[in-house]
Amino acid sequence: MTNDTKDLLGNDLSADERELLELYQRTLTLSRRDDLPPVATANVKQAMVLLWNACNDLAIDCGVPDCD
Amino acid sequence: MDSDRGRRSTLRGPTGNPGPLAEAAEPNGVTVTSTTTAFWNPKTETLPKDQLRALQLHRLQRLVAHAYENSPFHRRLYDAAKVGPDSIKTLDDIRRLPFMTREDWMACQAEKPIFGDLITRPQSDAIRYHLTSGTSGRQPLRVLDSRKDWSWITDMWCYGFWGFGVRPSDTVFFAFSYGSFIGFWGAHYCCEKLGCLTLASGNMTTEQRVKQIVEMGVTVVCATPTYALRMGQAAEKMGIDLKKEGKVRRVIVSGEPAGSIPAVKSMIEDMWGGKCGDTAGMTEIGTIMIFECDHQPGGPHIIEDHFIEEVLDPETDEPQAYGDSGERVVTSFGRGFIPLIRYRTKDLVRKVPHDTCDCGRTGDIFEGGILGRVDDMKLIRGTNVYPRAVEAVVREHSEVEEFQIIVSRKDNVQDEISVKVELKPDQQDVWPRLSAQLGKDLADAHEGLRFNVELANQGELPRFELKAKRLQDLRPQH
Repeated sequence: MTNDTKDLLGNDLSADERELLELYQRTLTLSRRDDLPPVATANVKQAMVLLWNACNDLAIDCGVPDCD
Repeated sequence: MDSDRGRRSTLRGPTGNPGPLAEAAEPNGVTVTSTTTAFWNPKTETLPKDQLRALQLHRLQRLVAHAYENSPFHRRLYDAAKVGPDSIKTLDDIRRLPFMTREDWMACQAEKPIFGDLITRPQSDAIRYHLTSGTSGRQPLRVLDSRKDWSWITDMWCYGFWGFGVRPSDTVFFAFSYGSFIGFWGAHYCCEKLGCLTLASGNMTTEQRVKQIVEMGVTVVCATPTYALRMGQAAEKMGIDLKKEGKVRRVIVSGEPAGSIPAVKSMIEDMWGGKCGDTAGMTEIGTIMIFECDHQPGGPHIIEDHFIEEVLDPETDEPQAYGDSGERVVTSFGRGFIPLIRYRTKDLVRKVPHDTCDCGRTGDIFEGGILGRVDDMKLIRGTNVYPRAVEAVVREHSEVEEFQIIVSRKDNVQDEISVKVELKPDQQDVWPRLSAQLGKDLADAHEGLRFNVELANQGELPRFELKAKRLQDLRPQH
């Protein structure tokens, strides 16, 4: 479960933080599709991981570390 | 996309947003393009302590739940101790969790080869495999990392590199062998992430490395402290004055306690002409957990938004107060494949408050870096001797090129300690004076213990690229 409106400290997400989280969630969804060509899946996964990294560092709730 | 132009950041931090690009003059005449923030992550690096503790608690609760659900090793450990995810209500509850040791880890690898049942995901989900360096002997630990783990690992290095002043305009050289030992691997990827020109040197000789550092106008060099000195010595022998001909403005060291010994740092800075900053990490974590900031406060900051670093009395397991040395026990929030919770490192450290440094980070500091190993201590005729303390004395003498510590037993009764010293080629004349002074300094630093100080021939003592092993204990082992 993630929280789309507050960070792990209970603060409201700022506009940029909401955008980062939304981008992460969109790439996460895309990376889990099985109908995309490898070129898309692999590169989207890389993008998703980097977005997760930014969200995680900023204390934005985006799940446990190991779920690729 | 044009609509984003001129938009102001709403990411939080002490300065609001990172600010415009600025240029700054640096040692060796290098100009660095930089944003005005000194922090990789302004939001969490400067959190007030109460908020930092709240963040740590949240992450600890989630980590313990993840470990309990997905790692049979942790479930077994916690069931035996009658604790679980619900046991963590406050940060102090971390003390209810049992310790994890290297011996436990090795035992689970032996029982269920080759990774044991510590890992939370199948091997096929990993993208990287590394081994411990073997410094502590015995069987190496094997680690796996997922994509997210590896990205997090490189990011921890980013905290350190950015914090010590590395910027996208830098050219970074890694004097590192790029083998199965994790070493500077994460740091290499960190520099690519930062946008630096990143130079690998896996198969090069020391002389080739020195040459490339000068030729390429390298501005940041990464190595063990021992090897940074060795490259500096090699440059001297090659007739290269690194201060004049090089552009190095930062030397970032890791892998040995010597990185925070003032005399060693001073030697490195004198040789290279740039600031020397210490970092420390471990394969079990996959990355660094402490780094020295640009203010060089006498020790590295703990990355407290990603780690809990306890300092415990190794005998009683009770927490040590600020300023008292004890054993590092680490909990890491970042690596999903291998949860590391209350891991006994056997590293000896001394924690001091964050405001010992005025950089603005709220992560506390390990004064003097990693002071040594709890199990590194040698008892010689009733006196405790730590290799790092010997190195701190020896490195005060700039005439010394290399040294070795030998512990032996005379007539099966009396323990002896000797320091073999190899002088720089042009310093042979100083030996009579230096040997007497070194003997006195070593004794003064060790409650009057007598050290035998011996002269070694040129090139006789071993040189090191990775972690130096300068102590030989020749006493019978029981």
